Amino acid sequence: MMQTETFRREMPPPLAPRPLNLPESVETTLANGLTLALIEDKRLPLINFRLAFRSGDANDPAELPGLSDMMSHLLTEGTTTRTSRQIAEEIERLGATLSVGSSSDFTTIAASGLSVYANEILELVADVTLHATFPQNEVDLARENTQQMLIQQRAQPTFLASERMAQVMFGAHPYSRISPTSEMLDALTRDHLLSFRDAAFLPNNAVMIAVGDFENNSIVAGIEQLFSEWKPADVSTPAFASPPDRNSRVAYVIDRPGSAQSNIVIANHGITRTNPDYFPLLLMHTILGANASSRLFMNLREEKGYTYGAYSNLDARRLAGTFRATAEVRTAVTGASLREFFYELNRIRDEAVSNQEIANAKSYLTGVFPIRIETQDGLIDQLVSIKMFDLPDDFLKTYRDQVNAVTTEDIQRVAQTYVQPDRATLVVVGDAAEITEQIKPYSETIEFYDTEGNQKAVGSRQ
Amino acid sequence: MHSALKSLVASPKTFFQLPPRGLNRSTVQKTFQVPHTPIKQFSLDNGLRIVLNEDHSVPVVSVAVYYDVGSRNEREGRTGFAHLFEHMMFQGSENVPKAAHFQYISNAGGTMNGTTSSERTNYFETLPASQLPLALWLESDRMRSLAVTQENLDNQREAVKEEKRLRYDNQPYVNGFLRLFEMSFKNPANSHSTIGSMEDLDAATVEDIQEFFRIYYAPNNAVLAVAGDIDETETLALIEKYFATIPRQPEPPPVDVAEPPGVAVNQDAYLDRLAPVPAFALGWKIPERRSPEFYALSLASHLLFEGESARLYQKLVKGEESVVQMQGGIDERRGPSGLFIVVIPKPDREGAQIRDATFEEIRQLATSGPSEEEMEKLRNNLFNASVRSRQSSLYRAQQLAEFALYDRDPELFNTDLQTYLEVTAEQIRDAVAQYLDTEDRVLLDIVPAPQEAAPAAPQEPGEPRQPTSPLPQIPAPPDEAPAGAPIPTASQPVIESN
Repeated sequence: MMQTETFRREMPPPLAPRPLNLPESVETTLANGLTLALIEDKRLPLINFRLAFRSGDANDPAELPGLSDMMSHLLTEGTTTRTSRQIAEEIERLGATLSVGSSSDFTTIAASGLSVYANEILELVADVTLHATFPQNEVDLARENTQQMLIQQRAQPTFLASERMAQVMFGAHPYSRISPTSEMLDALTRDHLLSFRDAAFLPNNAVMIAVGDFENNSIVAGIEQLFSEWKPADVSTPAFASPPDRNSRVAYVIDRPGSAQSNIVIANHGITRTNPDYFPLLLMHTILGANASSRLFMNLREEKGYTYGAYSNLDARRLAGTFRATAEVRTAVTGASLREFFYELNRIRDEAVSNQEIANAKSYLTGVFPIRIETQDGLIDQLVSIKMFDLPDDFLKTYRDQVNAVTTEDIQRVAQTYVQPDRATLVVVGDAAEITEQIKPYSETIEFYDTEGNQKAVGSRQ
Repeated sequence: MHSALKSLVASPKTFFQLPPRGLNRSTVQKTFQVPHTPIKQFSLDNGLRIVLNEDHSVPVVSVAVYYDVGSRNEREGRTGFAHLFEHMMFQGSENVPKAAHFQYISNAGGTMNGTTSSERTNYFETLPASQLPLALWLESDRMRSLAVTQENLDNQREAVKEEKRLRYDNQPYVNGFLRLFEMSFKNPANSHSTIGSMEDLDAATVEDIQEFFRIYYAPNNAVLAVAGDIDETETLALIEKYFATIPRQPEPPPVDVAEPPGVAVNQDAYLDRLAPVPAFALGWKIPERRSPEFYALSLASHLLFEGESARLYQKLVKGEESVVQMQGGIDERRGPSGLFIVVIPKPDREGAQIRDATFEEIRQLATSGPSEEEMEKLRNNLFNASVRSRQSSLYRAQQLAEFALYDRDPELFNTDLQTYLEVTAEQIRDAVAQYLDTEDRVLLDIVPAPQEAAPAAPQEPGEPRQPTSPLPQIPAPPDEAPAGAPIPTASQPVIESN
């Protein structure tokens, strides 16, 4: 081994900082109420569109969970002038993409491609938005294939954990449902899809975001022309039940005999996306479990070798949220992993984070911020969040200041408010015969379920 | 000033003209110009190859270090070593404490990861542009002075085993894919998995790992690529400072990935304790990357199974409604490569009938070739993918490093598109006829096994969920909500990052 050269002994200082030019969006509202947010980005001959609606899975009727999801899927399966196959062939022949996705709080029609085809792409976006017909044969096919997906997703331990977690944490609130059900698929009709679409897809309930190599004037004119027939109407606001209070720690074991690992999720109620505690919680989450240098990863993986990765999750949505800690660990160390999880959850509450930790977390969040908006897709996803969660218009501009303003005291305050180990919901998907005794020291109450979601009397193997 | 640096390539400027569109379209023909990515290539006296791409659009820099070692370099009884070693590279070096690599990068506002495939092991980070020295310091310190200790080895062996349990042993279908590789390839260098076997991982000693480091982690066996908001002169000076004194090592032993003709096994079944419904996979052995046949088959695969307008999707999922999900992919290698299709049939449908329909569609393509509309689709997809992907500095750094490592020609980043565009419909037709429309292929049935009847541990060992995707050092943090039911995919290699 060579002698160490002196300059290698210390981490090198950074070079001079380089400026970040944040792109500014130009906004306008059409006569029918459709808001446009546009960013001219001439670096590459590309274009991205997102037509986002303030209606998502949470708007599903209670008896039809998954309706928004099925409607989104079927939107590109036929219009008054195009068959499913024609839509797929036309968009792919442009080398472009067109997809529709429904999340808890909003639905997005996303399209992207070469900017020379901006008009053709936009015309297809308008067609599926305004003229989808939900042909009966496509509804039936989607119904059959989704029934099969319901079977397959029960083989995925992460699905089983998320399903139980959502049901326990959200109860009668619509966030409790994360998938269509077999009964819903049996009941689903074309009329359900049409009326759901008609209620959700209103211009005054939507924002059209475009980023790319275009001239604002011409893109506004193009959108105005294509969407001129679209009429506004009153947007109905459903009343949502509150998520249930969680007053004690309860464990829920989903018995998966022979499972090679235990999937652990520990959850507390969290915040909505616009809660003023968002930035303090974001800093706390960064220190506790957001990445591979956070406490949970360093402890459970790097020190203990229990897992391939352990993380926390700050899930803040429009109506409610959770704060979670998760890992997949080998069966034999399920109990030992719970010990480390609760150690870390208590530590972030009981002890102030160090000055170095908070400085590191701020440096991380402000540093990765420009990486997130390096691509048009990254930038437009940020704009979708801003619009759909009603974040301030200057959110991107002030993001780094907001991060830097958080104090050690703020972090301990939100940790003590939102991290509540004594009220935690503990979900473990694994081999009940192997893990029940390991879980008992960490929860007086344990409920058992099978992989179909049915409660069982005991956790022993049948 | 840069005595050890030799400029190797001057970058020409290249433009492309979008060919005329199909006659049945009323739209006017559009011209199209693919922006040229400026590339500079250098090398140090110790053999380290360097590729730079200066781009000031965002104040971000990506650094990628590619080592010419992957599972193809592993011998029998030592499977999984390249990947286990990738984990060791995050365990500290002379001036960087154990596990501090993650901390240094995160605390500087960056992201990083490492992955292992059959072909190479890569390490990469994206940082604020001002933090370039940090990335070079970290990468050079572990290249010159990795700390290989028993404690680190034992810990990372456990992390790798958890990775194997998470991504293979606890997932339906995934372990079955090992069989596909074993059935396709006769040469053990090609047929074993990147994750390796638990036995071989257990057998790894500190001495094995130290020897592996000496042989493969040498500057003359690596490429360093830097892309983003950099100054060329400043960057070269930093690279020379940190890397020039790392000694060259003897060249690693040659790799033999040659394959005798024909697949190893035509047909097999795999009992899967976790699979809820039956599935089957088809596999073909195809020529190496960047061969004329590979370009043609890569485009053919797009027509067969990429997107909802693809021939097999339209025939099986839509037309016949016989298939719930299907995916395909290409396992791109420097030697004999693979093309795969994975199918989940509907419950009442026979696999044999679906396979016949698949073979019939392949025969159609092998007989009539692609239509003019399909050729237009390919051209536009090539343009869009080429332009879209280069927005990311990390993508640019990785691609530049890969072309420099495999081909000693990073300018392929700009010129490879032209090679794809020049492939004709006849070449696609003929390549499909020769390599896909043949009985020399692999069929694997994945059969749900009753839990009681199956062994407690799945059959050893497995290919990854995406059989051809590299194994990442850091798993992605969990998503907000789970995706729908996933199908095991056989897509092109996907670089995962944290």
